[in-house]
Amino acid sequence: MNIRCFQRNFCAAFPPLVPLQLPSPMETHLWYILPDEVKSWGLLNHYSELLSPCERESVNRMRGDQLKKRALLARALVRTTIARYQTNCQMNPRSLKFRNNLYGKPEVEWRNEDNLSPLPLHFNISHTSTMIACGVTVNVPIGIDIEEKQRRTKNNIIAFAQRYFSPYEVKVLTAISDPQVQRQEFIKLWTLKEAYVKALGKGFSALPFKTFTIRFRDTTMRNFHPPGTTVSEASDIIVESSDDPTNPANNWQCALLEVAGSHYGAICMEKDRIAGANAPMKLTAWKTVPFVEDVCVSGTDAVLALGGIIGQ
Amino acid sequence: MASLAGSSISMQQTRHALATSRVSGLKLVSFTNQGRNNLSFGLSPMPARLRISCAAKPETVDKVCEIVRKQLAVPSDKPVTGESKFAELGADSLDTVEIVMGLEEEFGITVEEDNAQNIATVLDAAELIDKLCGGKSA
Repeated sequence: MNIRCFQRNFCAAFPPLVPLQLPSPMETHLWYILPDEVKSWGLLNHYSELLSPCERESVNRMRGDQLKKRALLARALVRTTIARYQTNCQMNPRSLKFRNNLYGKPEVEWRNEDNLSPLPLHFNISHTSTMIACGVTVNVPIGIDIEEKQRRTKNNIIAFAQRYFSPYEVKVLTAISDPQVQRQEFIKLWTLKEAYVKALGKGFSALPFKTFTIRFRDTTMRNFHPPGTTVSEASDIIVESSDDPTNPANNWQCALLEVAGSHYGAICMEKDRIAGANAPMKLTAWKTVPFVEDVCVSGTDAVLALGGIIGQ
Repeated sequence: MASLAGSSISMQQTRHALATSRVSGLKLVSFTNQGRNNLSFGLSPMPARLRISCAAKPETVDKVCEIVRKQLAVPSDKPVTGESKFAELGADSLDTVEIVMGLEEEFGITVEEDNAQNIATVLDAAELIDKLCGGKSA
């Protein structure tokens, strides 16, 4: 069955993606979709045409319409985001091929026969029921994680932290008396730890959360925050390996954001050796409905820096 | 709800569509028994993907289904069975870790992270639990 003629009609109805330049070294591009803003069946149809048959099958296997929509938007976001950066010619998001690394982290597979010039970009996605996000860097690996600020755990937070987090992190959380603040600091720690593990591309099993500690350090005073205080905008985020706490994982840079007022987002990227060890992480962020609207939200309330060095 | 682009995404899936697509020509009656493992297929060979293991006890599978259903707030009209993949039920990484923690508490076991990574379905979890509980009296 030839479905290509079917596709052409839809293609004509939607404008092409606006191309743009790759991020510079030490810069992250962050793209996010709010699924509730995507309601048009024509648009969802168009997105589904971008997916590989294998991806469509995976979407179909999700149980329930909302989960299917979320899975569909996630794949559409990855494909359209990467396609934007091919500035030599219009890249069809449908032509991109993906594969998983040894630990299951997805990456682009550039093949000569696809007539695409390979781009030195790295990407990572994360989603919740109300947001799907994709981070893009150039030359260096990236990991991102987003969680709803109000996310509640079924388990007791301290019990969970004792089981999975490092002793220092447990101490930090235990010292917070306000349960709402404690929950939010827990979510922030979780997203940072997830982002770090995803940036390394190793996954939860190869890098158990207990084996490293996330600390917040006040940049002005160069003192570590005493347990009980919350991270502030002027905080560095340091990753320490439990095996070797005196030697922080200096080649990884982490940042924490509040996105769209509803989510915490953590970004972790490898430092670019050429750019310099202390170059600040730059962030440019867009809220997008691919083919419909891209809104640059950097420097607005939609993206608030909570920690880590970020210039927007 | 309308289906998308003809052959591609269909957002209206009946409960048994999943079953019949896996083993053609057979009615999987046991799919309606949530979590039960007693599938009797008769003579047709099983596809490699449909792994029926006698290693997981039905009551273990049932308990795992219950914990998963609660953690993921799966609506009562949606089935959760041994074959159910956590990801397909909407579990993210935090959900999966919470499920594993819930299983540890329920069954009195400790699941190391490298084992946790391999748990993709209810059946995976149930088999691991039974294996870890193997030292204890049945």
